Amino acid sequence: MGDSHHDERPVSPPVEKREADGSRRDFLTAASAVAMAGGVAASYGTLAVMAGRYLYPSEDHNTAWQFVGLVDDITREKSLTYESPGGARVVIARQSDGNAAADFVALSNVCPHLGCKVHWEPQNTRFFCPCHNGAFDATGKATLGPPAEANQSLKKYPLDVVGNQLYILAPLVSVVQAESRPSVARRSDAAREA
Amino acid sequence: MGRVQAWIAERIPVTGEQIRELTNEPVPNHLKRWWFCLGGTPAYLFLVQIVTGILLAFYYQATPASAYESIRYITHEVNYGWYFRSLHKWAATFMIAAVILHQMRVYFTAAYRRPREVNWVIGMCLLMAALLTGFTGYSLVFEQLSYWGATVASNLSDAVPVVGPIVKQMLLGGEEYNAHTLSRFYIMHAAILPAAMILLLVVHISLIRLHGVTELRFGDEKADEPAHFNFFPEHLYTEIIVGLVLMVLLSALATILPAELGPKADPQTTPEVIKPEWFFYVSFRWLKMFSLTFAVLSTGFIVAAMFVWPWIDSWLIRVTKSRDVSIYIGIAATILLIGLTVVEAVLEH
Repeated sequence: MGDSHHDERPVSPPVEKREADGSRRDFLTAASAVAMAGGVAASYGTLAVMAGRYLYPSEDHNTAWQFVGLVDDITREKSLTYESPGGARVVIARQSDGNAAADFVALSNVCPHLGCKVHWEPQNTRFFCPCHNGAFDATGKATLGPPAEANQSLKKYPLDVVGNQLYILAPLVSVVQAESRPSVARRSDAAREA
Repeated sequence: MGRVQAWIAERIPVTGEQIRELTNEPVPNHLKRWWFCLGGTPAYLFLVQIVTGILLAFYYQATPASAYESIRYITHEVNYGWYFRSLHKWAATFMIAAVILHQMRVYFTAAYRRPREVNWVIGMCLLMAALLTGFTGYSLVFEQLSYWGATVASNLSDAVPVVGPIVKQMLLGGEEYNAHTLSRFYIMHAAILPAAMILLLVVHISLIRLHGVTELRFGDEKADEPAHFNFFPEHLYTEIIVGLVLMVLLSALATILPAELGPKADPQTTPEVIKPEWFFYVSFRWLKMFSLTFAVLSTGFIVAAMFVWPWIDSWLIRVTKSRDVSIYIGIAATILLIGLTVVEAVLEH
């Protein structure tokens, strides 16, 4: 193999051609690297977006319009306490004489500061939030603490009147009710019996 | 014997010399002082948390209907359940305390200065991860404090501009606390955060190895003494002693003051007196003192400043021409930290 020598020595291509080849090769190398990186980023990026969408909660349908009572049954002297299926107790009071939804008020007991539940203190005639010392008057306006500083009020449940029936938009289920898997108590009891 | 050694050496090609090189990091003499073992202490406690956490996970169920009952079962019915649960709780308390003390030691000895700035930032990440793990941990018990703590914390994140509402949704798995919330806390507490902490610890310790421990000299050291001693076995002995003392202490506390079970979470009633775990007393009191927006933004600002303190420190040195400004700021911050914690602990509201 090595014995046969050719007279023609390999001729190097002209300098311009070599430079052109080199820059073309560089370009192709860079372009394919970019394409590769782009492909990897796009595919894993898609996966990340899908995972993000998976983890982001889908819309919950925990609230519904619920029948409270007849509008005539609620007078200025007599408010009505409604207990939603989710366990929330809502006091619905009349604030003017008409029979439209705006004539009634249903104060939420969720503190607008950080979501704790307020409770009525009869001795101080105020709603009090034990988490960060917020207080509200009987109409729900903040009078003390961080909610007062931020000029917040207790939220009101949306109300609606159809004919002479009053409806409220309130949660349907509570945290624990939403759960339907068997509890440990039942499992351990079963184990003990076995 | 020779054949066995040869067999092993062929498959695990590491020489004794290389192992010695890896383990025998020269340790500066000041580490003979117990005060300087505060970095190893949280690392040891983290190990305790992993072991006891895995044991608790055998019985714990992360659903609103069964979480509280499963904790009651662990505490009252499983053999030594009360002990492992109490160990987990006390080791968490000690770990947070040790991390804070370790950070204070690093701060007041200015060990975060060039070239160790990045390790300070990683340490801050570890502190944040430890606090988050503590928070998600007590949320899992599903007692009143768990439920209302989680509600308050998620509404707090809601107040953060731009990303806040998304963080709240991701944390709770919905607009408010719901049936999916507990499992999210559980995944964070038992998988995501510990994995992140292990990774951060590896980088933290690797950087310490690469830079070497900050050298500190004390007046009572003799000049002719060698300035270093061996990591293995001398310093390891120290760490083993620290570990044993901690274990005795944790066991004693678990026996004398075992972890209890408060009233079960009631989403309809916030208890009249409610407090988070002690390490959040400061922020809880801060929230009572200021409006929500100010409290959240100022807390964010303080935490951000802590993250970049090494650079703030070098700027302060340039501006004031004094190397002690950070010390005075640190003393003021420590007094404020302790003061607010004590006030929150003493006052009912």
